[in-house]
Amino acid sequence: MNTISQIALTVVMFGSLFSVLTLSLNLQYARGGMINFGTVAYFATGAYAYAIVTQEPPHGLDQYLVGLDMPWWAGFIAAGLAAMAFAILTGWPTLRLRGEYLALTTFAFAEMLNSLLVNERGIGNGTVGLANVERPDANILGLSENVVYALAAFLLMLATAYAFRRLLASPYGRAVDAIRDDEVAAQAIGKNIARLRFQVFVISSMPIGFAGALYAMITTLVNPELFTAEVTFFVWIALVLGGERTILGAIIGTMALVGFQEAIRAIPFESVRAAEIAASAEDIVTGILFIVILRWQPFSALARRRQAA
Amino acid sequence: MTRDLLIVDKVRKSFGGLIAVGGDAGLSFSVPEGTFLGLIGPNGAGKSTTFNLISGVLKPTSGAVLLDGRDLSKARASDIASYGLGRTFQTPRAFPSLTVLENVMVGADNQGETLFSVLRGGWRSRETALRDKAGEVLERVGLSDRIDDVVANLSGGELRMLEVARQLVRDPRILLLDEPTAGVDPSLQAKLSRILVDLHSEGRTLVVVEHNLHFLLQIADSIVVLQNGQLLSRGTPSEIKSDEKVIAAYLGADHAA
Repeated sequence: MNTISQIALTVVMFGSLFSVLTLSLNLQYARGGMINFGTVAYFATGAYAYAIVTQEPPHGLDQYLVGLDMPWWAGFIAAGLAAMAFAILTGWPTLRLRGEYLALTTFAFAEMLNSLLVNERGIGNGTVGLANVERPDANILGLSENVVYALAAFLLMLATAYAFRRLLASPYGRAVDAIRDDEVAAQAIGKNIARLRFQVFVISSMPIGFAGALYAMITTLVNPELFTAEVTFFVWIALVLGGERTILGAIIGTMALVGFQEAIRAIPFESVRAAEIAASAEDIVTGILFIVILRWQPFSALARRRQAA
Repeated sequence: MTRDLLIVDKVRKSFGGLIAVGGDAGLSFSVPEGTFLGLIGPNGAGKSTTFNLISGVLKPTSGAVLLDGRDLSKARASDIASYGLGRTFQTPRAFPSLTVLENVMVGADNQGETLFSVLRGGWRSRETALRDKAGEVLERVGLSDRIDDVVANLSGGELRMLEVARQLVRDPRILLLDEPTAGVDPSLQAKLSRILVDLHSEGRTLVVVEHNLHFLLQIADSIVVLQNGQLLSRGTPSEIKSDEKVIAAYLGADHAA
């Protein structure tokens, strides 16, 4: 029983956290028409920004150059701003590209960042990463730290969903939809498509940065291995699972994917061999599940029903 | 004499070395304010390309397009639209994820589309007025009973009317229509004809590309004939009807008598 509640807590924590990424991707792709295959880079930027702003200045064997030793909330704000800054840097030269070209370029930017984090030790100790990332004292109301962080992730997800919903329900969202539907026709009614796409790209990066900061707090560790393209693909699969276009669908898809992985990991294994088999079975079953869900799209149907009601 | 609202000045456009519009000297014509100009010519004469050059979808290889004295050569299509130029397309373009009403509302120049306005929520108060205005325009083009419909349910003719409505809601100073009667049934054509005549009598400037000469010669007050991307003739509809060069261009030289 205890295990089940622990799994549930983990699912809420990481499900909510990655839902923030899926929601942002949903805004960029399903509404903005931009394929971002470098999602992990904005997440990593947020996590590293948080770590650098909050950690103590380097000493001993540390190879990183900057540690500002500021409070957690300063790190959290810095994470959102850093992700936006990285979006400005990467979006400005690339957003004129269409479809798959944008996908390749954003992917390349993410790989470049990863390579930079590995090789430029002055940022975050290279492959060693930054351990013991500071985090606020979560002992409030007598709740355990995990519960507090799960709650924080859940609140960040709700805030992101609310903000995006408000944005898309406005005339601004209508213009964004029009541009995605037909750029030439949108230009013919005076919509500045470059400006709107750029804005959507940068805005949607901010919550990803916040999620990065929260991720760093939860794991208390940032290193390049945590921020590989696997994260990007995970979020894309979650988005596809949930069915495109709806906020609820994005959340359901992410929760289901995280839940499935946690459930497999929770199976107690008697031997190393059994665990190895389970690990490869997880990949296979994930693949099968992915195909099954794509065929019948249960989550997107559910999300649509909820929206219609 | 009224002043020229739109001036096409020695415009040439070539695609990969092949001149599509303008020939050697460049295409020049002007549209005085309040004119209803018909732009006609055989297939491949460069009518739609000329529209695309005026509206900024294409950039001229050389020459200039001036809207109310402003040079449009360097302007983006969206800027040209916001300077007061409205246009429709040869193949009607709609926004399929929006309803009919939203398709028109999105056309209005909207202060609510800035991020600042979204943050303050100030767009809500304007939305009602915008909806009313869009409703009026849809009524005018005969789509008022379809406002909540999805675009996919509209016929080809209705899509054209929707495009006209989306431009009218913006109150453009000059409206360019690309083959508005193509694929439109006769009753809707008659309605369109009345709308255009009304718009003209309200003092609006119209430029209409048409294959349907009968339609255009009845309601336009000035006609520009293009052939091979160059100006063949310009005059009133009655002058054009009896112009031998025009008859030859349309029917072949044998018929010109």
